[in-house]
Amino acid sequence: MKSSSHNLPKISPDWQLTQPWTAKHLFIGIALLAVLAFTGSRLEMPRMFKEIGEALGYSVGLTEKSPVAAGLARIGNSLFPIQIAEVTEVSRIENFDRNNLPLFARIEIQETKTAHLNHETLQMETGIEKKEMLVAPLGYLKTVLVKMGETLEIALWATVLAILLSIPLAYYAASNYSPNKLTYFLARSSISLLRSVPELITALFLVLAFGFGPIAGVLALALHAAGFLGKFYAEDIENADRKPQQSLEAIGAGKLKTLWYGVLPQVIPQYVAYNLYILDRNVRMATVIGLVGAGGIGQELKGRFDMFHFSHVGTILVVIFITVLLLDQFSARTRKKLL
Amino acid sequence: MLKFHSVSKRFDDGTQALSTINLDIPKGQFCVLLGPSGAGKSTLLYMANGLVTSTTGQVEIDGKMLNRTNIKSIRQTVGMVHQQFNLTPRLSVAMNVLSGALPFVSYLRAAVMWYPRALRERACNLLAEVGLAPEHLSRRVSELSGGQQQRVGIARAFMLEPRLLLADEPVASLDPRVSREIMALLRDEAKRRGTTVVCSLHQPELAVEFADRIIALKGGKLVFDGSPDELVAAGLDGIYQLDAPKPTPANPALHVAPQILEALA
Ligand SMILES: Nc1ncnc2c1ncn2[C@@H]1O[C@H](COP(=O)(O)OP(=O)(O)O)[C@@H](O)[C@H]1O
Ligand SMILES: [Mg+2]
Repeated sequence: MKSSSHNLPKISPDWQLTQPWTAKHLFIGIALLAVLAFTGSRLEMPRMFKEIGEALGYSVGLTEKSPVAAGLARIGNSLFPIQIAEVTEVSRIENFDRNNLPLFARIEIQETKTAHLNHETLQMETGIEKKEMLVAPLGYLKTVLVKMGETLEIALWATVLAILLSIPLAYYAASNYSPNKLTYFLARSSISLLRSVPELITALFLVLAFGFGPIAGVLALALHAAGFLGKFYAEDIENADRKPQQSLEAIGAGKLKTLWYGVLPQVIPQYVAYNLYILDRNVRMATVIGLVGAGGIGQELKGRFDMFHFSHVGTILVVIFITVLLLDQFSARTRKKLL
Repeated sequence: MLKFHSVSKRFDDGTQALSTINLDIPKGQFCVLLGPSGAGKSTLLYMANGLVTSTTGQVEIDGKMLNRTNIKSIRQTVGMVHQQFNLTPRLSVAMNVLSGALPFVSYLRAAVMWYPRALRERACNLLAEVGLAPEHLSRRVSELSGGQQQRVGIARAFMLEPRLLLADEPVASLDPRVSREIMALLRDEAKRRGTTVVCSLHQPELAVEFADRIIALKGGKLVFDGSPDELVAAGLDGIYQLDAPKPTPANPALHVAPQILEALA
């Protein structure tokens, strides 16, 4: 049988199907790989892969020893079991009322062997010292939860302040609403500035200004988030459908009312999504900025870390993890409901 | 009521959208701007409320020349209906209609969306007049059909109690049956209130059916100005096929009125 292709009519030579990629693309690909290889060697990436490989091998019994696995195991062992109870020496508690103990708390006698020098005989004597300890079974967990609560409050206030700050910023940073080029430029520059300074750095400075505690934390988070929200709010205003705005402009409604009725209803779902993201981010960042003394659970974390109380650190990390998990569920649900 | 004094419009890119248009539209007239796409209908309409500024010439509304200082107050007396309805999608029907009265409410009321009783009653009356039902009030406009959306658009335009209503191809996005309903509604509402209407259309049959007066544009020039009967006498096709062969006895539909030939010359 004759091949059918011989029967096809001749088509115009303009029909040319080229290959989807060429030597140029290949060259760009190789150049990118070269850059990665160069920076990778500077950053000790080969050692990282080797040691991760060793650790993985060790975990399944293929490798004899792995310093990384040993290190991780040491950390794991010191973090767990986590510290739930709080044990305090009774004699150190002021105004201790033994007839009115806190809920679930009990008093335990702790016996410790002591060695001390007898000044008369100049001999070491061993003795048993009895100390009364107040044991609150959930005491430390409660402390951490209270601190976590404070962290959430910091995040909430930072989010609210960020939203309030970003509304005027967004108005002036939206090219179609900003009164003139100067206000637009100023608003855009402020947004870039706010976004470019990391929260931790801002917090560091604000702690110097406002002292240790949540004020510095709230402000540091709010300023950074205001930059983020201002940028995204403004871009949504610029990209909103012009038609509803035009109909309000046509009847002389004025800029602010046009924004409120012609733009806001369109962008509300995105705004809610941004706000939830910022709340989520602020909760995570609020746990970190405590490290520089700006309040919240981070301050507790830093204190315990510096005193090598790793089981306490474990409790804190577990509580942070669970909180972030719950928050994720909450934002996912709210977003679904509002869209 | 509405006068165009030798207005012309040349856009920045050099497009000459309108050239020397003179028009006097008296109070209460239902005036249709007829012409094919690109004829300059929207440009002329938008000049009437300053959304487009004329390159030369002036626009006069109720004896006042439109200028930069009075434009906002004049706009607040001129209603507008749009081809794409231009409603705010996620807002309720009621809020869309009420937003037509935004120039009359304080910033505080506008922000909290609490309108005075009189305006709420006006909105309800208008929605009833345009043929919507109470259950539509809280519905989002995006859940309505095209025809229903344009009914909301008309109700919104009348919230201003406008002296002049501009309608830019109000039925171009609707099917023929709904188009006639909407045109009838627009005309009834305007006639009941004595509102002057300038409505652009590209369908001659709708123009002939609903207009008091038809003004035809082509290529930015006025090519016909007269009553629907005169347009029929002139031959409807004339407006669209002015470049076509001269009328012949064999093709009576192509009879072009003298003033159209004049405009061409
Ligand atoms: N903003 C603009 N910039 C440049 N040219 C425009 C603009 N708006 C309209 N035009 C041109 O002006 C002419 C008339 O347009 P328009 O008034 O929209 O016509 P119509 O509404 O009758 O379809 C067209 O050629 C159009 O391309
Ligand atoms: Mg048009």
